[in-house]
Order: sequence, then structure tokens, then C-alpha cells
Amino acid sequence: MGILKNILTAVRGGASEVGESIVDANAVRILGQEIRDAEDAIGKAKQSLTGLKASEIKLKREINSLESDIGSYETKAVQALEAGNEALAVEVAERIADIESEAAEKGAEHSALSAQVNKINSMIRQREKVIQKNGRELEKIKTVEQLQKATSSMSTNFAATNASEHRVSKALERVKKKQANWEDRMEAGEWMEGEAGSDDLDRKLKDAGIGANASSGASTVLERLKKKSGQ
Amino acid sequence: MSLNELAFKLNAHLTAEDTRFDAVLAESGVLEVICSNNEEFPINIVKTDTQLLAITPLFNVNEVKSDKVDELNEELLLISPAIPLSSIGRQGDSYILFGAMALDTLFENIVHELEVQAENTVDVLQVIEPLLL
Repeated sequence: MGILKNILTAVRGGASEVGESIVDANAVRILGQEIRDAEDAIGKAKQSLTGLKASEIKLKREINSLESDIGSYETKAVQALEAGNEALAVEVAERIADIESEAAEKGAEHSALSAQVNKINSMIRQREKVIQKNGRELEKIKTVEQLQKATSSMSTNFAATNASEHRVSKALERVKKKQANWEDRMEAGEWMEGEAGSDDLDRKLKDAGIGANASSGASTVLERLKKKSGQ
Repeated sequence: MSLNELAFKLNAHLTAEDTRFDAVLAESGVLEVICSNNEEFPINIVKTDTQLLAITPLFNVNEVKSDKVDELNEELLLISPAIPLSSIGRQGDSYILFGAMALDTLFENIVHELEVQAENTVDVLQVIEPLLL
């Protein structure tokens, strides 16, 4: 089930203040110790693995060399038989048998070594799993500890302000008011931009002689007066 | 990025939605961040070995109408999946809104998370306000 059950029990039990242990300190120590043990074991396993792997490679090379010798002697034995030298062929066959026996011995040794290497590799993987699993468990504890730290200062504030009722409602009201102010300012900004845009349009129209007030200006007035007096 | 560096970057940042941040690293090691889109409910940021936790304490259980605690818990469970990037939980007697980020989260994404969390806070509180004192 892991540490989560312990955490639940602890927080239910009221371990909500900073500094209070979330779970039994002993449990944390055990998790930490298991991680360190697993790390040590992995370190040692990797060291012996290096030696074993080297022996395994060396054996494999020797086996390959013996197999190559067998192949070579077999060819020679056939050649001796073809040459009618039965005695020599028997001698070569005996040599082949010796080499085969040596190769078989080394092969068995190699298999045993390979099995040991696989066993150590699988042990390392298991230990790594322990480290990861315990690491995640410890992370849960640390997360709750940090959450407590982050919440505690505000909890104190809650307590201090609890005298004033509707704390949340009042705070929400202030947020909404600020948002409304901000929206008003945005709207005002857009209106100003719109106005600036329309001024610009009026000026362009006037420059183009469109929509300009034809009755403005002294010269226009004088023209009108002249027409009126019949001049 | 350390919380100190994060504070420095947040204080110099203005988001595309015109949100500013006022970030102060408290002695307790908690980074207290006030977002300009919701100055009433600060976000507290803490760090573990693998995560950055952004927590907004919402209210204390004793601020809930005594006969409405079950209803409130149910409402919070129901709305929690619909809240983008944030989750609701309870830490001791405090109800909290929180988000968790990996330690290698890009600064832009942290900013986005904080901005959204500040908005989410208002949204959530508006929903459950009738159940509070």
C-alpha cells in the first residue's frame, strides 16, 4: 500500500503544523536506509560484474579460437585420409577430440559465467526498482511537508481574519471590482483609439474636399453678402 | 531554476494578457506570488526534489457553513476535473487549489500555470461562495 496510507493517518490525526512529522520518522529512516543499501549493493555488483564480464569475453574468445582449430584440424585430417595416411589422420583425430573436450569444458564455464552475469544484472535492476520506489515514497512525504509549509502562513492569516465574516465574499468582491475597473479602462482606451481614428478620417475627408463645411470662412461669408446686395 | 531566480524573472515579466507578478521569497523558503489578475489570493510556490508546487490557500473549513461541509466537498469533487491545470485539495483545515509542475518546466509555462491558477481561484470561489460564511 505504500506510504500514502501512513500520510492519510497522519494528516487525519492532525499532523498539519509545520515541523510535525508527517509519518513516523522511523519509516522515513527505513526508506532512506533501503535506498542507501540498494545503492551500495549496486555499486558492489557493478564492480564484480566488470570482472565477470571480462572473464566471459576472454572465455568466448578462447572457445572461438578452439573452434577455429577444430575446423583447421578437420581439414587436415581429411587431407591425410585423401593422401592414404591413415595413421596421421588418426593422430589428427585424437588432437581434434582433445580440443573438442577442452572447448566443451570452456563452453560449460562460459554458460555458468553468462548465467551469473545475467543474475547480477537482474539483481541490479531489482535494486534500482527499490531505489525508484522508495524515492517516490519519500517524494510523497516531501510533497506533503512542502504543502504544509506553503499553506501554514496563509492558515495563520485565515485565523487572524476569521473575526471578519464573509472574508472570501469580500475578497471576491474586491477582485471583481478591480477586474471591472480594468475592463472600464480597456473600454476607455478603445474609445479613445476610436475617437482618434474618426478624427483622422474627418481630416482626410476635409483634405479631399468631402463633407467640409462649405459655409465657413470669411471669404465664403463675403461672397454670400455680395450676392445678397446684388453686386 | 531556483525559487529566487524564478522570483526575479516573475517580477520582471508582463504576460500577453497584461498580468504582472509580485513575487517575494519568504524566509520559510516559500515563494509568495501575487498575480495582478487576482491580488486577493496569492499563490505560494514550493519545491521538492522533483516538482514545483503552486498552492493557493482558499479558505479554512471553519469558514464553511457548518451544515454545508458535505455539500461543499461534493461540489469541489464535481468541479475539480473541469478546472484547467489546477486541482482542489485539503491541507489540514485549509482548502487549497494547486498545480504541480516538473522542475524543468519552461518559465513561459510556469507563468501560464500561475495566470490560469489565479483565474481558477476566482472561478471556484464564485461557485462555492453560497456555502461559505
